[in-house]
Amino acid sequence: MISKGLVAASTEPLILSLLAGGESYGYALTQEVKRLSGDKIEWTDGMLYPVLHRMEHRGLIKSRWGESETGRKRKYYSLKKGGKKAMATHHEQWSLVHSVLAGLKKEQYV
Amino acid sequence: MFDLEQSIAVWRKQMLAAGIQSPVPLAELEVHLREEIERQVKSGLGRQNAFEMAAEKIGRPRELKTEFRKISVPVVIRIVKLAGIACGVVGSLLLLWTVYVSLFIREANWGVRIFGLLALAAIILSWRHGGRFLPAIRRPQVRAAVGLAACVAGVGGTLVFIGRVLPGLFVFSDGAGFSLNRLLVAFVIAWTVMAILGVFACQLEEAGQKGGLYV
Repeated sequence: MISKGLVAASTEPLILSLLAGGESYGYALTQEVKRLSGDKIEWTDGMLYPVLHRMEHRGLIKSRWGESETGRKRKYYSLKKGGKKAMATHHEQWSLVHSVLAGLKKEQYV
Repeated sequence: MFDLEQSIAVWRKQMLAAGIQSPVPLAELEVHLREEIERQVKSGLGRQNAFEMAAEKIGRPRELKTEFRKISVPVVIRIVKLAGIACGVVGSLLLLWTVYVSLFIREANWGVRIFGLLALAAIILSWRHGGRFLPAIRRPQVRAAVGLAACVAGVGGTLVFIGRVLPGLFVFSDGAGFSLNRLLVAFVIAWTVMAILGVFACQLEEAGQKGGLYV
């Protein structure tokens, strides 16, 4: 399992990246993250919504109420222009951290 | 006998009692709860166990409330933002009217007309892009105070203009005739200042939110 701190820090970039693939809803986002991480990243389901609402307040994403194929009401989220920019920034920063870590690891083995 | 709908109704009551607001976000949480129950039942779990597991995964009502409270916009901030919008809209409309008048009055010279059009362009640009250039003040109280001060200055400045400056423009102490161009320039300045201060109060809020406020 990944530490709580890292899960919290990665929530926003993960949501933005998932929504970059098209609009989605809360439950699907949690399931998708779980699947992609091989069950290693698990959000407390309810805590996802304050994060989504906060991101909406900040103009990163927008939402609309819609219906599923079975007629169930769902709140769909999609990326806004600001969200795309934020995602690019996140990717840049996480890549930097990753490359620094990879570089340090390489140095240890040389 | 386990009644799923009744259990969900009890869960809703607990959420409401903890202060989770309805319809949003409670409706959204309930949709999530139902989706999870459905998935668990499909994977072979009994309805009662599925409900209990799903409710646990959603989280405790009080913890959720704490998280949601962080993003709710305080009333004072909403009032300041509305005051900013009102100030900005009134100022912009008055400026638009002044520019319109200056374009159709023959006595107005082109200098005044261009000045008015430039002021109008500045207002439009500030409505659209002003937030980008403002600092993200993280503390809501400070942001509200600055925004409120801008609104008060906008309205106060307009009142001073109407009460003190405007009558002076009709006094012909130097024997010169009444200057329409001078009056139009004064109007353009007054409405521009009012609109800009309103836009500033409103955009300051936006800039604050984008800078990660309520977090």
